[in-house]
Amino acid sequence: MNDLEYRLMRKQQIAAWSDRWQSDAARFADSHRDLLPRRITNAQLYGLGNVVRNARRYADIEKFVKRQAEKAGRAGRLDVQGYWSDLEAALGKLRGEAQVLLKNIPLPVEADSKQALDALHRELAGLYVQHLIAHSLYWTPDEGEHKRRER
Amino acid sequence: MSKPAFQDMALRVALDRDVARTSDGYDKRAQEYASRLTGTRLDKTQVRGLESLACTTDKVSDITDWLKLRVGRDSGRDRWAKDGVGRDLLSEFDGLRNDAQKIVAALSKTYSLDTDQERQVHLRLCREFLKHLAAHFEYLQAEHRR
Repeated sequence: MNDLEYRLMRKQQIAAWSDRWQSDAARFADSHRDLLPRRITNAQLYGLGNVVRNARRYADIEKFVKRQAEKAGRAGRLDVQGYWSDLEAALGKLRGEAQVLLKNIPLPVEADSKQALDALHRELAGLYVQHLIAHSLYWTPDEGEHKRRER
Repeated sequence: MSKPAFQDMALRVALDRDVARTSDGYDKRAQEYASRLTGTRLDKTQVRGLESLACTTDKVSDITDWLKLRVGRDSGRDRWAKDGVGRDLLSEFDGLRNDAQKIVAALSKTYSLDTDQERQVHLRLCREFLKHLAAHFEYLQAEHRR
Protein backbone atom coordinates (compact mmCIF):
# COMPACT_ATOMS: atom_id res chain seq x y z
CA MET A 1 0.00 0.00 0.00
CA ASN A 2 1.48 3.36 -0.99
CA ASP A 3 1.30 6.49 1.13
CA LEU A 4 -1.67 8.01 -0.71
CA GLU A 5 -3.69 4.79 -0.47
CA TYR A 6 -2.86 4.60 3.22
CA ARG A 7 -3.98 8.18 3.86
CA LEU A 8 -7.23 7.73 1.96
CA MET A 9 -8.05 4.51 3.72
CA ARG A 10 -7.20 5.98 7.10
CA LYS A 11 -9.39 9.01 6.43
CA GLN A 12 -12.35 6.89 5.41
CA GLN A 13 -12.02 4.52 8.36
CA ILE A 14 -11.84 7.42 10.80
CA ALA A 15 -14.86 9.13 9.21
CA ALA A 16 -16.89 5.92 9.52
CA TRP A 17 -15.74 5.49 13.11
CA SER A 18 -16.69 9.07 13.96
CA ASP A 19 -20.20 8.68 12.57
CA ARG A 20 -20.62 5.39 14.43
CA TRP A 21 -19.45 6.80 17.75
CA GLN A 22 -21.46 10.01 17.69
CA SER A 23 -24.34 8.27 19.46
CA ASP A 24 -22.01 6.98 22.19
CA ALA A 25 -20.75 10.50 22.92
CA ALA A 26 -24.35 11.78 22.89
CA ARG A 27 -25.30 9.09 25.41
CA PHE A 28 -22.43 10.21 27.63
CA ALA A 29 -23.70 13.80 27.49
CA ASP A 30 -27.28 12.69 28.14
CA SER A 31 -26.29 10.58 31.13
CA HIS A 32 -24.65 13.64 32.74
CA ARG A 33 -27.23 16.18 31.65
CA ASP A 34 -28.15 17.08 35.26
CA LEU A 35 -24.69 18.66 35.61
CA LEU A 36 -25.09 20.91 32.57
CA PRO A 37 -24.67 23.87 32.36
CA ARG A 38 -24.18 24.94 35.99
CA ARG A 39 -21.88 22.26 37.45
CA ILE A 40 -20.12 21.57 34.17
CA THR A 41 -20.17 24.91 32.40
CA ASN A 42 -20.03 25.60 28.69
CA ALA A 43 -16.73 27.41 29.29
CA GLN A 44 -15.28 24.19 30.75
CA LEU A 45 -16.48 22.25 27.71
CA TYR A 46 -14.94 24.79 25.35
CA GLY A 47 -11.73 24.56 27.40
CA LEU A 48 -11.74 20.79 26.95
CA GLY A 49 -12.27 21.29 23.22
CA ASN A 50 -9.26 23.61 23.03
CA VAL A 51 -7.02 21.19 24.91
CA VAL A 52 -8.04 18.27 22.73
CA ARG A 53 -7.52 20.26 19.53
CA ASN A 54 -4.06 21.44 20.56
CA ALA A 55 -2.75 18.30 22.31
CA ARG A 56 0.39 16.79 20.81
CA ARG A 57 0.07 13.52 22.69
CA TYR A 58 -2.88 11.68 24.16
CA ALA A 59 -1.22 12.02 27.57
CA ASP A 60 -1.83 15.81 27.42
CA ILE A 61 -5.58 15.23 27.16
CA GLU A 62 -5.52 12.66 29.93
CA LYS A 63 -3.54 15.02 32.16
CA PHE A 64 -6.07 17.83 31.64
CA VAL A 65 -9.08 15.61 32.37
CA LYS A 66 -7.40 14.13 35.46
CA ARG A 67 -6.55 17.62 36.73
CA GLN A 68 -10.16 18.72 36.30
CA ALA A 69 -11.28 15.70 38.36
CA GLU A 70 -8.70 16.42 41.07
CA LYS A 71 -9.69 20.10 41.26
CA ALA A 72 -13.36 19.17 41.63
CA GLY A 73 -12.48 16.57 44.25
CA ARG A 74 -10.48 19.10 46.31
CA ALA A 75 -13.44 21.50 46.14
CA GLY A 76 -15.74 18.74 47.39
CA ARG A 77 -17.73 18.73 44.15
CA LEU A 78 -18.03 14.98 43.90
CA ASP A 79 -20.60 14.99 41.08
CA VAL A 80 -18.26 17.09 38.93
CA GLN A 81 -15.33 14.88 39.89
CA GLY A 82 -17.43 11.91 38.75
CA TYR A 83 -18.08 13.57 35.38
CA TRP A 84 -14.37 14.05 34.67
CA SER A 85 -13.49 10.58 35.92
CA ASP A 86 -16.16 9.06 33.67
CA LEU A 87 -14.81 11.10 30.76
CA GLU A 88 -11.28 9.93 31.49
CA ALA A 89 -12.51 6.33 31.32
CA ALA A 90 -14.53 6.97 28.15
CA LEU A 91 -11.60 8.58 26.37
CA GLY A 92 -9.14 6.00 27.70
CA LYS A 93 -11.11 3.11 26.22
CA LEU A 94 -10.75 4.69 22.78
CA ARG A 95 -7.19 3.35 22.76
CA GLY A 96 -8.72 -0.07 22.12
CA GLU A 97 -10.70 1.42 19.25
CA ALA A 98 -7.52 2.93 17.83
CA GLN A 99 -5.82 -0.49 18.04
CA VAL A 100 -8.70 -2.12 16.14
CA LEU A 101 -8.60 0.57 13.47
CA LEU A 102 -4.85 0.23 13.08
CA LYS A 103 -5.28 -3.49 12.44
CA ASN A 104 -7.54 -2.62 9.51
CA ILE A 105 -5.18 0.02 8.14
CA PRO A 106 -1.75 -1.53 7.64
CA LEU A 107 0.89 1.10 8.40
CA PRO A 108 3.51 2.06 5.80
CA VAL A 109 6.69 0.08 6.58
CA GLU A 110 8.68 3.09 7.76
CA ALA A 111 6.00 4.23 10.26
CA ASP A 112 6.49 3.98 14.02
CA SER A 113 3.55 1.91 15.27
CA LYS A 114 3.64 3.32 18.82
CA GLN A 115 3.50 6.88 17.55
CA ALA A 116 0.80 5.98 15.04
CA LEU A 117 -1.32 4.45 17.79
CA ASP A 118 -0.96 7.52 19.99
CA ALA A 119 -1.78 9.87 17.09
CA LEU A 120 -4.86 7.87 16.22
CA HIS A 121 -5.98 7.68 19.85
CA ARG A 122 -5.64 11.48 20.10
CA GLU A 123 -7.61 11.92 16.87
CA LEU A 124 -10.43 9.63 18.04
CA ALA A 125 -10.55 11.45 21.39
CA GLY A 126 -10.85 14.73 19.47
CA LEU A 127 -13.80 13.47 17.47
CA TYR A 128 -15.48 12.03 20.58
CA VAL A 129 -15.10 15.36 22.37
CA GLN A 130 -16.43 17.24 19.32
CA HIS A 131 -19.62 15.11 19.47
CA LEU A 132 -19.79 15.46 23.25
CA ILE A 133 -19.56 19.26 23.19
CA ALA A 134 -22.08 19.61 20.35
CA HIS A 135 -24.61 17.39 22.07
CA SER A 136 -24.07 18.98 25.49
CA LEU A 137 -24.59 22.50 24.14
CA TYR A 138 -27.54 21.38 22.02
CA TRP A 139 -29.54 20.62 25.15
CA THR A 140 -28.17 23.43 27.29
CA PRO A 141 -28.27 26.81 25.53
CA ASP A 142 -25.43 29.20 26.25
CA GLU A 143 -26.58 31.04 29.36
CA GLY A 144 -23.83 33.65 29.26
CA GLU A 145 -24.83 34.72 25.81
CA HIS A 146 -28.47 34.82 26.87
CA LYS A 147 -27.59 37.17 29.75
CA ARG A 148 -25.54 39.40 27.45
CA ARG A 149 -28.47 39.71 25.09
CA GLU A 150 -30.83 40.56 27.95
CA ARG A 151 -28.67 43.45 29.13
CA MET B 1 -12.18 -2.90 -19.77
CA SER B 2 -11.76 -5.59 -17.11
CA LYS B 3 -14.86 -7.07 -15.47
CA PRO B 4 -14.21 -5.56 -11.98
CA ALA B 5 -13.62 -2.11 -13.52
CA PHE B 6 -16.84 -2.40 -15.50
CA GLN B 7 -18.75 -3.49 -12.36
CA ASP B 8 -17.28 -0.55 -10.47
CA MET B 9 -18.36 1.90 -13.14
CA ALA B 10 -21.84 0.36 -13.41
CA LEU B 11 -22.22 0.70 -9.63
CA ARG B 12 -21.24 4.36 -9.76
CA VAL B 13 -23.78 5.05 -12.49
CA ALA B 14 -26.51 3.19 -10.59
CA LEU B 15 -25.64 5.04 -7.37
CA ASP B 16 -25.69 8.44 -9.12
CA ARG B 17 -29.04 7.62 -10.68
CA ASP B 18 -30.63 6.50 -7.38
CA VAL B 19 -29.22 9.43 -5.42
CA ALA B 20 -30.48 11.88 -8.09
CA ARG B 21 -33.92 10.26 -8.11
CA THR B 22 -34.18 10.38 -4.31
CA SER B 23 -32.88 13.96 -4.29
CA ASP B 24 -35.71 15.09 -6.59
CA GLY B 25 -38.13 13.84 -3.97
CA TYR B 26 -36.60 16.19 -1.36
CA ASP B 27 -37.37 19.41 -3.18
CA LYS B 28 -40.75 20.09 -1.58
CA ARG B 29 -39.62 19.31 1.98
CA ALA B 30 -36.51 21.41 1.56
CA GLN B 31 -38.67 24.28 0.34
CA GLU B 32 -40.78 24.04 3.50
CA TYR B 33 -37.67 24.24 5.67
CA ALA B 34 -36.41 27.17 3.60
CA SER B 35 -39.71 28.92 4.16
CA ARG B 36 -39.40 28.38 7.94
CA LEU B 37 -35.82 29.64 7.89
CA THR B 38 -36.81 32.85 6.12
CA GLY B 39 -38.88 33.59 9.23
CA THR B 40 -35.69 33.60 11.33
CA ARG B 41 -32.84 36.09 11.57
CA LEU B 42 -30.55 33.80 9.58
CA ASP B 43 -28.96 35.15 6.48
CA LYS B 44 -27.73 33.33 3.43
CA THR B 45 -24.10 33.08 4.60
CA GLN B 46 -25.15 30.90 7.53
CA VAL B 47 -27.29 28.60 5.41
CA ARG B 48 -24.60 28.50 2.71
CA GLY B 49 -22.09 27.78 5.48
CA LEU B 50 -23.93 24.61 6.40
CA GLU B 51 -24.19 23.60 2.75
CA SER B 52 -20.46 24.22 2.21
CA LEU B 53 -19.58 22.17 5.26
CA ALA B 54 -21.72 19.28 3.97
CA CYS B 55 -19.97 19.42 0.60
CA THR B 56 -16.48 19.34 2.06
CA THR B 57 -16.75 16.95 5.01
CA ASP B 58 -16.57 13.17 4.83
CA LYS B 59 -18.69 12.71 7.97
CA VAL B 60 -22.43 13.06 8.53
CA SER B 61 -21.65 13.70 12.19
CA ASP B 62 -19.77 16.91 11.25
CA ILE B 63 -22.99 18.27 9.75
CA THR B 64 -25.14 17.34 12.74
CA ASP B 65 -22.53 18.55 15.26
CA TRP B 66 -22.38 21.90 13.45
CA LEU B 67 -26.14 22.27 13.60
CA LYS B 68 -26.38 21.12 17.23
CA LEU B 69 -23.81 23.77 18.22
CA ARG B 70 -25.73 26.49 16.35
CA VAL B 71 -29.02 25.45 17.99
CA GLY B 72 -27.34 25.40 21.41
CA ARG B 73 -25.73 28.81 20.94
CA ASP B 74 -28.95 30.41 19.73
CA SER B 75 -30.06 31.57 23.15
CA GLY B 76 -32.18 34.32 21.58
CA ARG B 77 -34.09 31.56 19.80
CA ASP B 78 -34.35 33.66 16.68
CA ARG B 79 -32.02 31.74 14.38
CA TRP B 80 -31.44 27.97 14.20
CA ALA B 81 -33.45 27.36 17.38
CA LYS B 82 -36.50 29.38 16.31
CA ASP B 83 -39.68 27.29 16.53
CA GLY B 84 -37.58 24.13 16.65
CA VAL B 85 -36.45 24.43 13.03
CA GLY B 86 -32.90 23.27 13.79
CA ARG B 87 -34.13 20.27 15.79
CA ASP B 88 -36.52 19.31 13.02
CA LEU B 89 -33.73 19.60 10.49
CA LEU B 90 -31.60 17.28 12.61
CA SER B 91 -34.44 14.73 12.63
CA GLU B 92 -34.74 15.17 8.88
CA PHE B 93 -31.04 14.34 8.39
CA ASP B 94 -31.46 11.30 10.61
CA GLY B 95 -34.45 10.21 8.52
CA LEU B 96 -32.39 10.39 5.32
CA ARG B 97 -30.52 7.35 6.62
CA ASN B 98 -33.62 5.26 5.83
CA ASP B 99 -33.44 6.39 2.21
CA ALA B 100 -29.75 5.50 2.13
CA GLN B 101 -30.57 2.05 3.54
CA LYS B 102 -33.18 1.49 0.82
CA ILE B 103 -30.80 2.55 -1.97
CA VAL B 104 -28.00 0.34 -0.69
CA ALA B 105 -30.30 -2.63 -0.05
CA ALA B 106 -31.61 -2.46 -3.63
CA LEU B 107 -28.14 -2.14 -5.15
CA SER B 108 -26.68 -4.93 -3.02
CA LYS B 109 -28.84 -7.39 -4.96
CA THR B 110 -26.81 -6.67 -8.09
CA TYR B 111 -23.45 -5.34 -6.91
CA SER B 112 -20.93 -6.17 -4.24
CA LEU B 113 -20.83 -3.15 -1.95
CA ASP B 114 -18.38 -1.65 0.51
CA THR B 115 -19.49 -1.95 4.15
CA ASP B 116 -19.25 1.84 4.40
CA GLN B 117 -21.53 2.40 1.40
CA GLU B 118 -24.69 3.19 3.36
CA ARG B 119 -22.96 5.89 5.35
CA GLN B 120 -21.52 7.42 2.20
CA VAL B 121 -24.92 7.44 0.50
CA HIS B 122 -26.42 9.01 3.63
CA LEU B 123 -23.82 11.77 3.41
CA ARG B 124 -24.62 12.35 -0.27
CA LEU B 125 -28.34 12.58 0.53
CA CYS B 126 -27.66 15.15 3.27
CA ARG B 127 -25.68 17.20 0.74
CA GLU B 128 -28.52 16.94 -1.78
CA PHE B 129 -31.10 18.01 0.78
CA LEU B 130 -28.99 21.00 1.79
CA LYS B 131 -28.42 21.98 -1.84
CA HIS B 132 -32.19 22.27 -2.32
CA LEU B 133 -32.60 24.02 1.01
CA ALA B 134 -29.93 26.66 0.35
CA ALA B 135 -31.24 27.38 -3.14
CA HIS B 136 -34.84 27.76 -1.95
CA PHE B 137 -33.73 29.87 0.99
CA GLU B 138 -31.89 32.37 -1.19
CA TYR B 139 -34.75 32.52 -3.64
CA LEU B 140 -37.36 33.04 -0.91
CA GLN B 141 -35.25 35.67 0.82
CA ALA B 142 -34.92 37.62 -2.41
CA GLU B 143 -38.68 37.34 -2.92
CA HIS B 144 -39.34 38.66 0.61
CA ARG B 145 -37.12 41.67 0.00
CA ARG B 146 -39.02 42.68 -3.14
